[in-house]
Parts: sequence; C-alpha cells; structure tokens
Amino acid sequence: MAHNTKDLSFKQSWLTHLVLIVACLVISAPLLLAIIKSTQISSDVYSSKLLIGTAFIDNLQKAWVQAHLGRYLLNSFIVTILVTVGKTVLSLLAALAFVFFRFPLKGVAFALVLLSLMLPTEVLIIALFDFVSRDLKWADTFTAIIVPFLASATGVFLFRQHFMNIPVSLADAARIDGCGPFKFLTAILVPMSWNTIGALAVIQFVYVWDQYLWPLVIMQNDQKQVIQVGLRKLIDVGGQTDWGTVMAGTVLAILPPLIVFMALQKQFSSGFALADEK
Amino acid sequence: MLATKRGAYLNSSSTNTIKPRKIKNKRSGAPEERATFKSPIVPWLLLFPTLLILTAFIYYPAIKTLLLSIYQANLILNTQRFVGIGNFTDLLSSPAYQQVALQTLVFTVLTVGIGLLLSLSLAYLASRPIRGAQYYRLLLIFPYALSPAIAGTLWLFLFNPDIGLVNRFLEPLHLARRWLDDPFLAFGLVTVAAIWKGLGYNVVFYLAALQNMPTDVLEAAEIDGANASQRFWRIIFPLLTPMTFFLVFTNIISALFDSFALTDILTRGGPAYHNAGITTFLIYQLYEDGFINFKIGTAASQAALMLLLVAGITILQFSLGERKVHYGS
Amino acid sequence: MSLQFAAAQTTVEFWYSFGDAKRSGWVQARADEYNKAHPGVVIKPVYKGSYNDSLQATILAGRQGKSPAMVQIFEVGSQLALDSGMFQPISSIKKIDYSDYLKPVINYYTINGKINSLPFNSSSPVLYFNKDLMQKAGLNPKQPPTTYGGLLAACKKIQAAKLGATCFGMSLNGWFVEQWMAEQGATLLNNANGRQGRATESNLNSPAAAKIFQFFKDLKDANAFTYSGKLEDWDGSDAIFTNQKTVFHITSTADIGNINAAATKSGFKMGVGVLPIPDSTKRNGVVIGGASLWISKNIPKAQAESALDFALYMTNTKNMADWHKLTGYYPVRQSSINLLRNQGWFLQTPLQLVAFNQLLKTVPSPATAGALNGAAIESRKDIEEGLQKVLSGTPVDDALKETKTRVDAALKEYNSNFK
Repeated sequence: MAHNTKDLSFKQSWLTHLVLIVACLVISAPLLLAIIKSTQISSDVYSSKLLIGTAFIDNLQKAWVQAHLGRYLLNSFIVTILVTVGKTVLSLLAALAFVFFRFPLKGVAFALVLLSLMLPTEVLIIALFDFVSRDLKWADTFTAIIVPFLASATGVFLFRQHFMNIPVSLADAARIDGCGPFKFLTAILVPMSWNTIGALAVIQFVYVWDQYLWPLVIMQNDQKQVIQVGLRKLIDVGGQTDWGTVMAGTVLAILPPLIVFMALQKQFSSGFALADEK
Repeated sequence: MLATKRGAYLNSSSTNTIKPRKIKNKRSGAPEERATFKSPIVPWLLLFPTLLILTAFIYYPAIKTLLLSIYQANLILNTQRFVGIGNFTDLLSSPAYQQVALQTLVFTVLTVGIGLLLSLSLAYLASRPIRGAQYYRLLLIFPYALSPAIAGTLWLFLFNPDIGLVNRFLEPLHLARRWLDDPFLAFGLVTVAAIWKGLGYNVVFYLAALQNMPTDVLEAAEIDGANASQRFWRIIFPLLTPMTFFLVFTNIISALFDSFALTDILTRGGPAYHNAGITTFLIYQLYEDGFINFKIGTAASQAALMLLLVAGITILQFSLGERKVHYGS
Repeated sequence: MSLQFAAAQTTVEFWYSFGDAKRSGWVQARADEYNKAHPGVVIKPVYKGSYNDSLQATILAGRQGKSPAMVQIFEVGSQLALDSGMFQPISSIKKIDYSDYLKPVINYYTINGKINSLPFNSSSPVLYFNKDLMQKAGLNPKQPPTTYGGLLAACKKIQAAKLGATCFGMSLNGWFVEQWMAEQGATLLNNANGRQGRATESNLNSPAAAKIFQFFKDLKDANAFTYSGKLEDWDGSDAIFTNQKTVFHITSTADIGNINAAATKSGFKMGVGVLPIPDSTKRNGVVIGGASLWISKNIPKAQAESALDFALYMTNTKNMADWHKLTGYYPVRQSSINLLRNQGWFLQTPLQLVAFNQLLKTVPSPATAGALNGAAIESRKDIEEGLQKVLSGTPVDDALKETKTRVDAALKEYNSNFK
C-alpha cells in the first residue's frame, strides 16, 4: 500500500534520511563484515583489513566439503519444505472443518487447537525427547524433526480467519452446485487463499529453518543434521576454528530464508495485514 | 487482492489472535457458525491429522512432563526416584535458579522494550513518504532471515575479546573491552544481539501495519504541520496498538525460547556471576540440566514451571486482547 | 553366495570424537587397514561430535536398541559410563595382558579394581610458549617458567616490554584443577578421589585447592590473564595463543601437533615446558586425560570380539607410536615408547620429551589416579565457574567455599540416584 503522496522534500526529510542511513549501516554491519571476512584468506581474517579478498570460493569449498555444509543445507531444505507444505495442508483441512461444518464437540476440538499455543515445543523437550527416542524410536531420523511440527495452530487460525471473510453466498452457491467439501477446498478456497498461504509459508519456512534446540538433542547422526546445528559444529571443530570458513557458511545459511522472504514478500504483507479498505 | 477484505490487521504468528474489528463481540472459543456442509464424520476426518499430532507431540509430552517432574531421574542411569514436590522446592529455594529467573526477566523486558521501540521508530521513519524508502525498508527487514544460531555465530566472531574484529578496531582507540567474560558486558552483548536479531521480524510487522493504515490519516498528519513526535504519539501510535500488543507477546515468547541458540553459541550461558552464569536463562538452564547433566527430573520440573509461565502469559494476552485490541478504533 | 557372505560379515560401528581431518583421517586409515586384513569384519568409524555429544548419542542409540559396538568416552565420563550399565567390562570379553600399558594411564581407568575400558588417547597438560615473544621481552625461551611464581615473574617482564599481547591464557577447564591437585599430591574428592567408594565430598577447602585459586587471583591482579570468556573453550584459547595474543598458554599435549602447525603458519616458534605448579611443591606428576574405548553390552558376541580386536590393533605398539608422532597424545604402551626411543624420535622432537617425562615421573597414588565421580561434567563446570568468579573479582575464600558447596551438592544429588 504505497502512499500516493509526493515524496517529502529534502529539507523536510534529511533528518529521517540520516537516522535511517545510520540505522541501516549499524544493522547491516555484522553481516557485511561476515561477507567481507568470508572472502579473505585465514591470515587476514583476524586482522582489521576490510578489503574483499580472493578466498571466498576456497572458504566456501572448505565449508561445503570438509564441514559437510552442503549436506546440512540439503537436510535443512528437505525438512523445511516438508514441514512447511505439511503444515499448510493440515491447517487448510482443519480450517475447512471449523468454518464450513457444523458438528458436535466443535468447541472442544477448537479449544484443543487453541490451547496448544500455550505449549511451545521447547518447554516439552524433556518429555518429547523421552517419547520420541524411547517409545517411537525415531531418534536420528528425519521423521523426528518433521512429524511433531506438522500441526499448526497458527495456520489453522490464519486460514480460519481468512475463510470467515469469504461471503456465505459463495459457499452456499458452491454447495448448491453439488460441490463436495474437497472440491470446494481445492477449486474455490485454495485459489482464493494464495496470499494467506504465502504468508504462512514465509513464517513457517523461517521458523523451521531456524530450529536449533530440538535437532541438537534428538539428531545425533551427522548425516542428517540441519544447518543451524551444523554451524555450531563448524565452530567447535576440536582444533582451530577457521573463521573464514565459518563466515562463508553463515552467509550461505542466511540465503534460503532471505530468498523465500523476498519472493513471497507481497503475499506476506497482504496475507497478514488484511487491508482496511472496503 | 481480495475483494472481501475487511477487519483489522492480522491474525497471529505464534501465540495470538487479534480478531477483526467487525466481529468484535464474538468470543474466541466459539468459531463463527456456518453450516455449509453437514456431516458428522467429514469434519473429524479433516481435523484428524492436526488433532493427532497435537495430542501426540504436544499434549502427551505436556502430561509426561508433569509426571516426570515429581521424580528424581537420570537419563543415563535410567533411574527414577519419587520425590514429590521436592524438585520444585529445591528449585524455588535455589539461589542459582532464582538468579536465572531474574536474569530471564531482565533480559526479556530489555529485549522486548528496547526492541519494539526501536523497530517501531525505524518502521515509522521508513514508511514516511521519502525518496528511496523501499530500499531502507529492505535493509531494515533483512535480519528477519537471521536465525538465532547465526546471530550467535556472527557476534561470537565479532566480539571475541582477543581475536575478534570489534576489539581490533577499538584497540587503537584504547577502547577494547572484555566483551564475553565481563559479566555485565556479556549480558549487554547478548541483549543487544537478541534485539538486533529480532529487529527484522518486528519491523516487518510494523511496516505492514503502517502501510495498511488509512492513507488519509497519514497524509493529514504530514500536511497538518504537527511536528514529528506529536504526529507519531497522538495519531500513529494509538492506531498501532493492536500490532504492538501482538508483537509484545510474540517477542516475550521469542525472548524466552529463541535466546537458547544465541546464548548456546555466544556465551554458553556464562560468564559466572554470583550464583549462576549471567546469560543462563530459563531455557538454557533446562537444557543444561536435562541434556548436559542428564538430570531429567529436575529439568522436567523446570519445564513445568515454564509451562505455568507461558500459560499465564497466554491467558493474560487473551484476556487483555479482548479489550485492548479495539483501542483506538 | 552373496547372502552367505553378508551373513558372515560382522559390522562394528565405532563412534569417536575427533572433528579434525588429521585425527579422524588416522582413525579411518586404521579401520581401512584392519578391514583389508579381516575380510569378515567391517569397522565403521563414525564421528559423533564432541565428547559430550557422543555420550548423548550413545544413550539415544541405546534407547533405540541400536547401540554402537564401541564408543570413545572421555575420561571424566568414565564413572557415568560405568553406572549407566550400557557397557561391558573389556576383561569379560577377552583376557588382555595389561603389563605393557603405562601405569598412570591404566590407573585412571581402573575402577573398583576392574579395567572397564581400553585406554586410547591419553594426554596431560603442558605449558606452551611463544619463543619469539619471550625473547622480545628479554626472557630466555630455554628456561620457561615451571612454577606459578616463575610465571607471574615472567608476566611482569612481558608487561614491561609492551608486546601488545597478554602474558598468559588458557581455557578454563576443571581438568586443569584436577591436574594441579594431583601435582601437589592432593586428592580432589574424598574416598581416595572416589576410587574407594563413591565420592561424597570435595576437598576444595584444602590448602592445595586454595593455592590454585590464588594463582588465578594473582593473574587477575597482575592483568596477566586472558581467555575467550567461554568455559571449556579449547579452540578459542588455542586461537588466542596461535594468533600471538598471549605469550604463555596451557593446554593438553594432544595439541602439540595442531598448535605447532598453527604457530608456524602464524610465523612464530613455539616451545613446550612442564606444567607450572605452585611454588616449592614437590611434583607428584599428572593425571592423564583423554578418552578410552568402551564396548556396549547388548551386542552380539562376535561384534564385541571384533570391536575389541580392532581396538587392540589400533592401539598396538606401532600404531600408538605413529599416533603419538601425529598428534602429541601419549602412546599408551611402554613398548611404543621404546620403539620411539629406538627411532631417535625424542632427539628430533624435544617438544614431546617434556610431556613424556612429566608422565613417566608420575608417582602412583589416589591423587594422581585422578578424581572419579558420576556428576563430573557438572562438578567440573562448578569449579570452572569458581575460577571465573575469581577472575572477575570474587575473593578466593568466598569462591572456594561457594564452589565446594555446589560441587558437594552435585555429588550428593548424583549419589542419591542409587538410594
């Protein structure tokens, strides 16, 4: 929703520019330094030199091959995509039930979803670890870092709210046309919900990509470890930490969520911030 | 663009529902009734996967946590000894745990307070009609792509007392500091890193809210000649209350939990100060007791206490939310 | 045919904790050799992260009923590993002649008179010093300090020389305190360092402990100490030394290889000296550190036997000598030392000799056997935090008292698991 107004004149806005420029510099500084240092040879990395070096490919290669960064990234990709897609599908189904059906114990079901917001995984980690490793025997598998995260109260609420804004007449018309619930979902609701789906996808992608504590405790198989924990291993190598390589790895690990966010930025803004226009 | 949009700003990200203004009288527990389809079985089939996963991986572990919290248990030895409320009384009377709780509180208040104020100001400035605003916005929201682990890694590299870049720059000015082993500096560093990491997320939401604000209001404010701070506090801030409210709660939750990866990499909960590491927060203590010292009984009782805390926060949010959300409308 | 072959094959997973290419490459090479010589057996070495990570991984695997045949467990986890009941004493698999093993090494892993695990990588702490910087400060690199007092005196000269480097730095690790107690002939824990029964109390109120804590106080007062701020940050403290930000450094002999390489790369000459100890104290020697090889209980007999056989191969005379040359870890066998001597190794590399003498001169006693307790991971951290507090200004007596209270509580908590 860009403003239609003309830009303020320089006289009116120089202070704003100044503050924003300083803020942007400060905020970007750590990352800029990381990018610069990721290009330098190891003897320059610890110096105060701020010139772009020539060793980026070299550092990247070290991170990719020796530190298995390539594998960690791929693992994170698989897990993140599966969880994001799974959450979206499950949330769509649940929201369909909550909005377009009347059924007994609906309140109970809804409360069950609602109350789960009070129980973040991190708090449950001890018991979850016990359950997943001893009872389900899922430790060291992708299943352990995918399945527990497939349900999303956030997603259900987001879709539910979106569906409730769809005119009753549309749904009724669909039903009269002999449209079943699944057809209704795929042919009418989903096409109308791309913004919400995009918004949820961004949030969930970043959330899953950032997961750290759970994979740290449940995944002790390096072949299947995710990138966030992989970074920690890059630092604690049990020898000399090669910071040029770590920085190269860091830069790489930021890219996927950044790309997803940039790609879906429009959907994100409009899917979340329902405009107040009529 | 959907033709049917109405209502207010958003629903939620992780813990919150802020409902559209138009349906303000509905209670959150009762979804709007619409009986497009009538079938007693299909809705349960649709809900089955979600409910199954919530039951198995949220509710069952929650109950198990409570059960485990009354035992002294060791993960490696596989022993369990009933101690009743022993774990709880030990924790609550332990100066170390009290300190950890207090540190968590201070950390949370600082990151949420400063973080929101900063992101609100920056989002506001970047949403003013100025040239190049879209570039500022882009630069302000990119930290959203930063994970806590990456933030920790970057800051560890920058602030290492002896070989870190920051001290390299400060040495010639004789301003080099012991960033990671001076307790107060380390605490400050972790706080600032957390604020920095959270900035992108907060700015994204504030920008969305600001950009969706009725343009006439903003234009009027610019033309009106009201000075910047008046304009901001009298007109914009009240309109942003629902968003601020939402962000306060998501930020509290992220201060409580996302801080784990940050401190694990940056400080490992240290340095020691009085009875505990000064950057040891509740979740880090829980991890350390559970997975480093393998004392899962006491870790479970810490989890139970944290459950209470989060439940309290959530209830507060919902009950306040009912009233607060519509403020300013 | 192929089915038969598969059935006859014994696969042995070996979990270890060396993240660097050098040491992990060595382990893999030994496995390859062994596999070639034993067609029916496949040894699969798997890197499992830090010692703590691999311990956790082992528990996880045990719960899944998929225990690895053999795990490398760090010395401090020995009691815990024993109490876990997940491993079998190696003596129950096959009779082994231990007479060739170094006394201080075998002493550490002897618990209740039983040798539960096979010693593998063993080390002790030594003083590392930057010869170039010492010279610049007017110090003689041929005579590195051997006592706390000597080190502090050297620090004065270093500060006067304004080298842009701190005098001394090391990773804060409870392991060093255990060493310094042993050097003074003092036990860290009661019940003979937890070897005549479970330890119930720490001896942190002893004069020996006070001397160690006082050393850190003196270092702090003289502005002569630096570290990365994190506890047990081996890599971080090595980096400080190799980047010439400290003149002296204390860490494990196991790093002689790596640090020497890094020093060369960074352009300075490194020396190694004995671990500095409190002034006017008779040297009682060091406790070994490092790790040993444990064999899981619930695995087929063939697997256990192959695992042990490989472990013995990996630690045979020739391999241990080779391992020592590569890394700086002690060879755990007397015959390896003889081999090295015959090869003239110690003449070529005087660096290593220091470490050796330190170990070989160790007087066997409960003090030098090393402290044993099941809550050792926690109690080490308590001790580290105690030192850290001294470094940030807490008086020595207060820090010691507080640390003792915490360590004792940890011991009590652990022991109560067996009520």
